[in-house]
Amino acid sequence: MSCGSLIRKVLMVAGIGAFVFASQKAAAQEETVRSKIAAAIVMPDEEGRIAVVLDLKKNPSPEIVGWLDKWKEGLIFMYEAEDGSIVPVLMGDKIEGTRKIAIRKLSDDAPVVDGTGNQVGVTKFELDLADTSSSLRKAMREVSDLAALADPDVEKRIKAIENSSVGQRQDKLPGLLELQKIETNSKANKALEQAIAIINLRSDDKAKRLAAAEFLGNRGSLPAFDLLKTIALESKKSGDKEMEKAALLAVSRIEMHISRINAAGTLFRGVSSGSVLLVVAIGLAITFGLMGIINMAHGEFIAVGAYTTYVVQNVFASGLRLSPFGQSFEIPGLGLTGTGMSLYFVVALPLSFLVAALVGLLLERSVIQFLYRRPLESLLATWGVSLVMQQLFRLTFGPNNVQVSSPLWLSGNWTVNDVVFGWNRLFVIGFALLIIVATWLVLNKTSLGLLIRSVMQNRNMAACMGVRTERVNMLTFSFGCGLAGLAGAFLSQISNVGPSLGQNYIVDAFMTVVVGGVGNILGTVISALGIGMADQSLQQYLGNPVIGKILVLFGIILFLQWRPQGLFVTRSRSLD
Amino acid sequence: MNKAPAASKIRTPLLIAMAVFLVIVMPVLNVAGVIEDFTLNVWGKYLCYAIMAVSIDLLWGYTGLLCLGQALFFTLGGYMMGMHLMLMIGKLGSYNSDLPDFLVFLGHTKLPAIWQPFYSFPFAMLMVFLVPGILALIFGFLAFRSRIKGVYFSILTQALTYAAALLFFRNELLMGGNNGFTDFRTLLGANLREAPTQRILYIVSAILLVAVVAGCKWLTSTRFGLIQRAIRDSENRVLFSGYATANFKLFIFVLCAMIAAAAGALYVPQVGIINPGEMTTERSLEAVVWVALGGRGTLVGPVLGAVSVNALKSWATRAYPDMWLLILGGSFVLVVMFMPKGIIGIPAQVRALIAKMKNRGANSRQPVTTKQDAEVTEP
Repeated sequence: MSCGSLIRKVLMVAGIGAFVFASQKAAAQEETVRSKIAAAIVMPDEEGRIAVVLDLKKNPSPEIVGWLDKWKEGLIFMYEAEDGSIVPVLMGDKIEGTRKIAIRKLSDDAPVVDGTGNQVGVTKFELDLADTSSSLRKAMREVSDLAALADPDVEKRIKAIENSSVGQRQDKLPGLLELQKIETNSKANKALEQAIAIINLRSDDKAKRLAAAEFLGNRGSLPAFDLLKTIALESKKSGDKEMEKAALLAVSRIEMHISRINAAGTLFRGVSSGSVLLVVAIGLAITFGLMGIINMAHGEFIAVGAYTTYVVQNVFASGLRLSPFGQSFEIPGLGLTGTGMSLYFVVALPLSFLVAALVGLLLERSVIQFLYRRPLESLLATWGVSLVMQQLFRLTFGPNNVQVSSPLWLSGNWTVNDVVFGWNRLFVIGFALLIIVATWLVLNKTSLGLLIRSVMQNRNMAACMGVRTERVNMLTFSFGCGLAGLAGAFLSQISNVGPSLGQNYIVDAFMTVVVGGVGNILGTVISALGIGMADQSLQQYLGNPVIGKILVLFGIILFLQWRPQGLFVTRSRSLD
Repeated sequence: MNKAPAASKIRTPLLIAMAVFLVIVMPVLNVAGVIEDFTLNVWGKYLCYAIMAVSIDLLWGYTGLLCLGQALFFTLGGYMMGMHLMLMIGKLGSYNSDLPDFLVFLGHTKLPAIWQPFYSFPFAMLMVFLVPGILALIFGFLAFRSRIKGVYFSILTQALTYAAALLFFRNELLMGGNNGFTDFRTLLGANLREAPTQRILYIVSAILLVAVVAGCKWLTSTRFGLIQRAIRDSENRVLFSGYATANFKLFIFVLCAMIAAAAGALYVPQVGIINPGEMTTERSLEAVVWVALGGRGTLVGPVLGAVSVNALKSWATRAYPDMWLLILGGSFVLVVMFMPKGIIGIPAQVRALIAKMKNRGANSRQPVTTKQDAEVTEP
C-alpha cells in the first residue's frame, strides 16, 4: 500500500468521524435540511459528501430540491472563518457604504460575523464555490427526484412522477410503489400507474412486461409510444413473438388515440380560428352585407379598437407619451397595479366600441353618405381612407408594434384526455359567441334593429313609411364600425398591435362575408366556422400553413362557382 | 345615357404630338445630354406603369370590371422576363454557377425542368403572354360563367392576388421567394447596366404604350367597343338582347392581362428587380388610383394619371416621407368624391359649373339639367 493511499484512507476515516460528529451536533440543535446540506458541503471528501446527500433520502421533503439545486448551480460559497473552519455561506445584500456583500450561513441563515461582532463582507470573486462532481450530482439528482415525489403541490408531484419513468430504471420502482400506497389524488394516481407500467416494460419478469404493454396500450399512453416501438423491434430481433405482438398491439392502440387527439385538436383550433374570422367579419357583414358599402378601411377600424385598448391599458398603468406630427403630449396614468390593472380590459371593451363607432360616424358623414349608390367608388374611397388612417397610426403610435399585455389567465391551458385546450382559444370562442348574440339581439330585438332591417330590405319603401333612412344608414354604419372596434380590442389580446393590423385580416373578412351570402348574419357565422375549420385541417394535413391558406382561397373561388351568391341567398325579384 | 367618351375631345393630332414627344424627342434629348440617363430610366418605369393603367382603364372605365389583380398579371409578366434574365447572368453570379444564385442557395445542383426552356428569349416572350393569359382565361371563365360581377369580382380578384402573392413568397415555388429576382446583367447580349441599353428599353416602352393606346382607341371605336360600354352601363339589357356578355368580358379580361404582363416584362429589366412585393393588392389599388385620378373611360387619362402620380410619389417620398400616404389617400378620396372623371374631366366640370351659374343667372326657375349628367350611372 502506497503512502498516498494510506493518507487518503486516514483522512476518509477522519471525515466519516467528523460527519458523525457533525450530524450528532446538528441533531442536537434541531436538524434542518439546510444544516444537513451544510454539513454535506464541508465533508472533506467525495464519498462523505455523497453519503450525507444520500442520507437525505430517509426523510424526503420538497425543500431539499431547492437547496440541492442551489448547490449544483454554484450559489453556495465556502467561507473560511477566523478559526480556520470552513463555513458554507450564501450571498446576501450589499453592505451599505461599501462595495462588499454580506454573507449568511447556509446552516441557519444567520449573518456571518467576525470576532468583534461586525458583519463580514466579501467581494464577488473572493470566495470559492461549493464544488460538485459528476457522481455527486448523480446522487443529488436521485435525492431530488425522490424529494420531488413528496412535493405537496399536486402539479409538481405529477411532473416528478412523469420524470421518474424516464430511462425506465428499475431502481425507481420501489419509490413509486411506495408512493402509490399513500397517494390519494386521482390524477397523480393515474400518472403513477403509467410511470410504473413504463418502468415495468423493462422488468425481468416477462408476465409483468406483457401486462405493462397491454395496460399502456389501453391507456393510450403518449410517453410510452416510442418506447413500445423500440420494444417491438427488439423483441422481433430476439424472436420473442409474444412480446412483439403485445407491443405492436399497444402501439396501434396508442396510434388510434393519437389520431383521435389530433382530430379533436384540429376541430378545436378550427372552431377558434373560425371564431377569430367571425369576430373580424361580423362588422363587415353589417356594413357590406346589409348596407352594400365596401369598406376597405374596415381593417383600420379594427386597428382603432386595438389602439384604444392600448391607450386604456397605459392610462391604467403609468400613462403614455404620444408625439403625432412632431407635437408631443402626455396622457397621465392612474398608476394602478394588481387587480385594478387587470380590470382595464373591462373598460377597454366598451370604449373601443365607442371610439370606433364614432370614427365610423365621422367617415359616414364625410365620405360614405355620398357614395351609397356607387359601390365601386365606395371601395376606392374607403381604400384611400384606409391609407390615411394607417399613416395616422404610424405617425401617432410609431411604425412598430405596440405592447398590449394580455391577462395572465389567458396563457394557461386545460387538458382533457390529452387534448389541450388553450385558454386564449377558449376566450376567442366565448367572445365570438358573445358578439353574435349581442348583434342578433340588436338586429332583432331593438327598434333600431327593426329600422335597420327595414331600410336594408327596401330603402324606398321604408322612406315612404317615414323612416329617416339617412339617419338609419349613419347608425348602421357606425354600429358596424363599432363591432370592428370590438374585434380590435379582442385581437389586441391574442396578436400584435401595429399600424397594419387590419391589413392582415381584411381579405379573410371579405371572403367570409362573400361566402356566407351577403346580407345574412347566420351565413357569416357558418362560413367563418367553415373557413376556419378547412384552414386548420389543411394545415394539419399538409403541415404547411401558407399552402393551406392558398388552397382555401382557391377553394372559395371554386365554391362561388357553385353558389355565386354565397351560402344563403337573399331572394328578390329585382334585377341588380 | 351613352355619352361619347371624353377622349374624343382630345384631338388626334395632339395625341400624335404626345407620341412623337415620348418616342423620339425624349431619347434624342437624352443623347444630346439635356435629359439625364437617370431621368429617362425613371420615365421608362412610368411608361410601363402607364401601360398597366391603360389595361385597367380598358377593364374598369370601358367594361365596368374593377379588377384588383392587374398587379398580379403585371408581376407575372415580369417574372417570366426575370427568369430569362436570371439565366442570362450565367456564371457571373456570386456562386459562379450556371444556376441562379438563389437556387444554389437552396441547395439545387441541377436546373429545374421548368427553368430549362427560359434560356430561349422567344420562349420567355411567349410565356410573358401565355402564363398571365391562361391564368386570366381560367379565372375569368369561372368568374364570368357564374355571373360574378361588380364588387364581388373586385373582391375575388383581390383574393386571387393575395393567394398568388402568398405563393410567390414561398421558396418552394423556386421563384426566388422573398427576394425575387435581381442582379440582372444582359438582355439579348446587351449590357443592362449601360445607358444605351436602357435608352432602347425606354424607347420600346414608349412605342408599346403608343401602340397600346392606339390599339385600344381603335378597339373602343369598333362595334366591339360599343358592346363593351353597353355591358358597363347595363349588362342585363345587353344579355337580354342576345349577346353572350360573358365571352366579351372574358376576351377583354384576357387581353388586359396580357397588356399588363407585357408592361411588367418591360418594367423588370429597367428597374432591375422583381419580387412578390409588387404583386400585392395594394399595388393593384394604387394602379387603380392612377386611372381614377387621370380620368377613367378615356385613354389619355390613365397615362396622365400614372405618370403624374408616380412623379408626385418620387418627389413626395423623398421630400415628405411621412406625408406621402396621407397625400395619396386623401387626394384619392377627394377625386372619387368630387372629380369622378379625374384630371381629364376637369375642363368639362368647370364648363358645366359655368353653364350652371349662367343658367341660374338667366332663369333661376329652369331645372338644372347638368346635375344628372355629372352623376355616374353605374350598377
